[in-house]
Amino acid sequence: MKNRNFVNLNINPCKMCMPIGAVTAFKGIENSMFLLHGSQGCSTYIRRHMASHYNEPIDIASSSLNEKGTVFGGESNLKKGLKNVLKQYTPDVVAVATTCLAETIGEDIQRLTQEFIVEEGLENVKIIPISTPGYGGTEFEGYYAALTQIVKEVAVEKSESNGLINIIAASLSPGDIRNIKDILTAFGIGYVLLPDISDTLDAPYTDEYRRIPSGGTKLRDIEKMTGAVATIEMGMTVPSHISPGQYLLEKFNVPFHKCAVPIGIENTDKFIRLLSSISQKPIPQSLKSERGRLLDGMIDSHKYNSEGRAVLYGDPELVYAASKLCMENGIKPVLIATGTQSNVLRELLKGPEDDYSEEPNIIDDTDFETIQRYAKEFNANIIIGNSDGKVITEKEGIPLVRFGFPIHDRVGGQRLVYTGYTGTQKFLDDITNTLLEEKYTKYRKSMYKKYFNPSEDKKALQEEFCNKLEIARKTMTHPCYSKGACKNARMHIPVAPACNISCNYCNRKFDCVNESRPGVTSEVLTPEEAAKKFVEVKSKINNLKVLGIAGPGDALANFKNTKKSIELIKEIDPDVTFCLSTNGLMLPFHAEELISLGVTHITITINAIDPEIGAKIYKEVNFMGMKLEGVDAAALLIKNQLKGLRYLSSRGVVCKVNIVMIKGINDTHIEEVVKEVKKCGAFISNIMPLIPAKGSAFENLPLTNNKELNELRKKCEIDLKQMYHCKQCRADAIGMLSEDISQEFSQAKCGGGCSEKTKTKDEKAYTFAVATRTGVAIDQHFGHAEEFYIFKYSNSEIKFVEKRLVSKYCTGEEHCDDEDSKIDRIVKAVNGCNAVLVLRIGYRPSKILQDKGIVVVQTCGRVEDAIKTAVKDLETVKELAQAVD
Amino acid sequence: MKDKLNKMLEKYPAAVFKNRKEHIIVKEADSEQPQSITANTRTVPGIITNRGCCYAGCKGVVLGPLRDAVVLTHGPIGCGYYTWGTRRNKGRTEGDELNLLNYCFSTDLQEGDIVFGGEKKLRQAITEAVEIFKPKSIMICSTCPVGLIGDDINAVANWAQKEYGIQVLAFSCEGYKGVSQSGGHHIANNGLIKHIIGTGERAVGKYSINLLGEYNIGGDGWEIERVLKKIGYDIVSVMTGNGTVEELKNAHMAQLNVVQCHRSINYIGEMMQTKYGTDWIKVNFIGIKSTMKSLRDMAVYFDDPDLMARTEEVIAEEFSEIAPIMEEYKKICQGKTAALFVGGSRAHHYQLLLEDLGVETVLAGYEFAHRDDYEGREVLSTIKEDADSKNIESLDIEPDSTHYRVVLSQERLEKIKDQIPLNYYEGMMKQMKNGSLVVDDLNHFETEELLKILKPDIFCSGIKDKYVAHKAGIFSKQLHSYDYSGPYAGFKGAVNFARDIAMGITTPSWKYVIPPWKTQPMLEGSLIGGK
Repeated sequence: MKNRNFVNLNINPCKMCMPIGAVTAFKGIENSMFLLHGSQGCSTYIRRHMASHYNEPIDIASSSLNEKGTVFGGESNLKKGLKNVLKQYTPDVVAVATTCLAETIGEDIQRLTQEFIVEEGLENVKIIPISTPGYGGTEFEGYYAALTQIVKEVAVEKSESNGLINIIAASLSPGDIRNIKDILTAFGIGYVLLPDISDTLDAPYTDEYRRIPSGGTKLRDIEKMTGAVATIEMGMTVPSHISPGQYLLEKFNVPFHKCAVPIGIENTDKFIRLLSSISQKPIPQSLKSERGRLLDGMIDSHKYNSEGRAVLYGDPELVYAASKLCMENGIKPVLIATGTQSNVLRELLKGPEDDYSEEPNIIDDTDFETIQRYAKEFNANIIIGNSDGKVITEKEGIPLVRFGFPIHDRVGGQRLVYTGYTGTQKFLDDITNTLLEEKYTKYRKSMYKKYFNPSEDKKALQEEFCNKLEIARKTMTHPCYSKGACKNARMHIPVAPACNISCNYCNRKFDCVNESRPGVTSEVLTPEEAAKKFVEVKSKINNLKVLGIAGPGDALANFKNTKKSIELIKEIDPDVTFCLSTNGLMLPFHAEELISLGVTHITITINAIDPEIGAKIYKEVNFMGMKLEGVDAAALLIKNQLKGLRYLSSRGVVCKVNIVMIKGINDTHIEEVVKEVKKCGAFISNIMPLIPAKGSAFENLPLTNNKELNELRKKCEIDLKQMYHCKQCRADAIGMLSEDISQEFSQAKCGGGCSEKTKTKDEKAYTFAVATRTGVAIDQHFGHAEEFYIFKYSNSEIKFVEKRLVSKYCTGEEHCDDEDSKIDRIVKAVNGCNAVLVLRIGYRPSKILQDKGIVVVQTCGRVEDAIKTAVKDLETVKELAQAVD
Repeated sequence: MKDKLNKMLEKYPAAVFKNRKEHIIVKEADSEQPQSITANTRTVPGIITNRGCCYAGCKGVVLGPLRDAVVLTHGPIGCGYYTWGTRRNKGRTEGDELNLLNYCFSTDLQEGDIVFGGEKKLRQAITEAVEIFKPKSIMICSTCPVGLIGDDINAVANWAQKEYGIQVLAFSCEGYKGVSQSGGHHIANNGLIKHIIGTGERAVGKYSINLLGEYNIGGDGWEIERVLKKIGYDIVSVMTGNGTVEELKNAHMAQLNVVQCHRSINYIGEMMQTKYGTDWIKVNFIGIKSTMKSLRDMAVYFDDPDLMARTEEVIAEEFSEIAPIMEEYKKICQGKTAALFVGGSRAHHYQLLLEDLGVETVLAGYEFAHRDDYEGREVLSTIKEDADSKNIESLDIEPDSTHYRVVLSQERLEKIKDQIPLNYYEGMMKQMKNGSLVVDDLNHFETEELLKILKPDIFCSGIKDKYVAHKAGIFSKQLHSYDYSGPYAGFKGAVNFARDIAMGITTPSWKYVIPPWKTQPMLEGSLIGGK
């Protein structure tokens, strides 16, 4: 854990400088004055700062060193200053403390003050020089160093045993010092309390203004410290070289007891027991009663305290005591911080007796910028320390219990009594009440929020709504889901070669551009290749909005590849809409992951909901290592399809259901299917005509014409939105629906080896009618073609013969069937050809052409290549025909 | 009175007696020679002065209120700590603008840095400040030891400016320089005119002004701005209350500088006059009559009937709003007396506001003013430079080749010279009543004594001597921080001040605390020690 956010920059300091600590110590000496040897700003700043806490005049003289002094030394200024102080204040003791300036120019105040005493012939005034460079430490070190120096300078001789107890007080408020004195008085103990600021820094109003307020530790009492029975020093964190108790022990053999500031029941107990054992006096009944009341109070408020998560900061000695108070009351000190460098604090608080669940974090040499960060990070709900921590309250809204020095933004800092049993009780009450106030101010709000205020629900609803809006936006731009989105391009990546079911209408062993239907692809890509291809395509097609995975097998049967591909492409373009199509067998297993991958559109092919019918369509189902057939296979598949569909829809995924209309098998069942998938939440259904693929079981089933298809779609439309514009894309389709340009991006251009048998027999001459605008590439839909290029193939040579103009046969699918006469015209135009090469063709015209013995080849790419391929195909067909014969 | 003063001064050692005597005068209206006071000289050591140091004037007063600059104290922790948020100069940021006002930045030098030099630490601290706050500018202010250990903060500033492409200025305002915070004002003024003013190019409106020497204590600047904007002034920059470095860059585009605190900012006023031809007039927005006068003086400068009419309109509107309530407060305050010891301008400004309330000022003194603040700028030529003022750099300013222009013709200037305080400040003393006291660098001892002699009802000073007055049973009002109140400037601010004064002198608590002189004769003899 870092002490500070920054090493070299202190942002909002959690410490002051040494001189201010020394001033505080000396203000507790009777009839004393303080002179800071340096530039006058130091004394002015410290005066204004202390005045704001104590609400008393704070007289600190300055030697007002100026530039001349920095060159010639500050001797004359110092002596002049001392003279004026003596004249105006007639003090018994004057402290001469250094500043950064005096230390840097190397002022020897020891010598200068000695000289001054001799020069002035001073007898009744003690001058105590003390070195307090601002860079030498903080107010904490300044305070104890000053006390040690006072003892060293005043208690020079061993006095006779006097039975007194030396009490070295920590830097407490005048109120606390009064309280400590009350405790000592209750015991009836003779003591020397050093320092005693109880009256000097909190002077009562009197008729006459005393320039040096009365009170403070008397010099002659300090002299007696050497003969005391013991020293009790509130200084668990005080280094021995600035410990007055240590000095008295080493020099005069005064037994030395360290104790903490008596804040908290344990610390107070220790202090009281020490007093009792050293003085051999019983603990007064009044203190016992106070202790009893404290215990009673601690128990009464423990339930509120346990919610406390406190940040404590300041003088290490005070922080230590206050931390102990928190710990014994169940308030978790989540951060204990001091601006002073102190390793001891960490050691002291990391004791083995910790009975709180969370280890406190302890940092020293820190600043408020850092404390603020941790306060937030550790979810603190209370801060305990001086007024400077108000920056945290202002910025983070964590309430502050003011304790320590300075308290300049509230009154009464000088009167605070937080020591002893009664003081501890007051401190604890202040902490508890702050927690309660926080709780009460926020309680109603939080309860309301929790139970009555719909705002949270609203928020969730809003989020859901936003989510839906986003999906709706994506749906709008998805060419397969919205007809209006046909301007947007989609790209199918063929990354899923394997399939887990076998449909009777499918034959995926072909890899040929002449097949344009689902399950067909020219190449299978790895996810990495797919991502690469995506980048390439994206750079050329700027309206690429959709990325789909449509096989050639099943996207979910190749889930690893599917997932990886989506992840890779998402990184490249997070805005792209992901969709995939599946037979739905594995859907319940992967639905959740698909959602988290960001797949918003899923197409499920559900051809039946009746397993009996399904059994006719599906040959087999491979499910988790089991091979099922027949009704069992269909039943399992249908169950999983619907389950997946229901789940996805409930989670906001837009689901399209594809249904292949197979005459005589499911054509009358489709309406039921649509109704059921509607119930399961499908967004749209797409009824497609069967493409009797060569080599598939349904190869010879009758074709469905557009009229029948659209009639069925219209019927189903009552239940569910229907898709009219499906083009039954290839697994590697790229571009707009109307224009598949996948061949431009294919790794391996299709040229040869398209059929299983590549051997060619004796070649014949064929005539081809090609739908092309330019004569170079096949780029026209059969119905849209205004002219056909006629090519002749013979002896491996392709020759352009002529152009045949036709009037437009078809302007849109809706009209196709109504204008039969136009077919005749086109058929006439292509008459005499062995085959027609088109980009796309409707099924009805295709049937007519086939009936006429004209082979229809749907393809794309270069005319020459297509013709060569077609020739091979024709040869194959012929061969097959011969074989059948 | 003179006898009483002498009695007080006799308690000083001979040398101090001689010194302090020069700093105290009794106003004599019919004196043949203009009265002269000694000011801006070295403080007597050990005398418990209220003065601050050079660093306080530079960092605390002038640069501190800039809310978009990281003002980085280069030195041990104390100096930075003691100037952290203590001056109540308010700031308000707009949008997601960076507000650095409530931050304290220090290099927190340790013993090792003093021995081996602190430049490296300063460089790294700048790096860290840039990293976290990405400020547009950083101002390095050095403290006592920095000047002595030989850290070259200018070199570091140059390095940082190149390294981070932001403006980094170095201010060598070591605490021991000069005799008070006044030296620090001058150093800050020099830095701003040398490096910032004149680097922007904002197009300005019809009546464009800079408001100089307004530090927005308790929101004073906002109240003044409100009225000025209502009249139609385009305030190009405020130096430096709620100000930004970005604004200051355009200051040279304004047509007129209006100077509120003469002491802390007159250097810029003067230098801008030489460099850009911008005239300045002394204004005082503390007090109702003085606010009216200041607004009218400004209108006279622009010599525009529309502006004059609008000024009268706004004055009438604002005054009618506050007049009845001021009357009520005046009934409470009328006939009371006040002693003022504050700043380098405030002790003058507030006399006028107190006068509005029927309160007579019996003593006024400045902490760190120069003679011209007391006697008027006409004495400038007679002020001898001493060793202390010599070591604060005085810039040689030349007219700027691109931006210098003549705003008003010589003819016009001559014409209005006698009507308005054009490029001139008359000082505090001329307006003071016969027999009132003027004390420079009032100290703790004199405060006590003079309170006994003068027995004022109100003592206006700062927090250091506030409690001396309280102990003497006298109501005291802090005029540095306003005791967490304000604004006191302008029309509406006057009401706040009147309310605070009326409330202060009428609090029932005073019934229990009666000043000694009201119950018993003055004590003679030496002061009571603590024995």
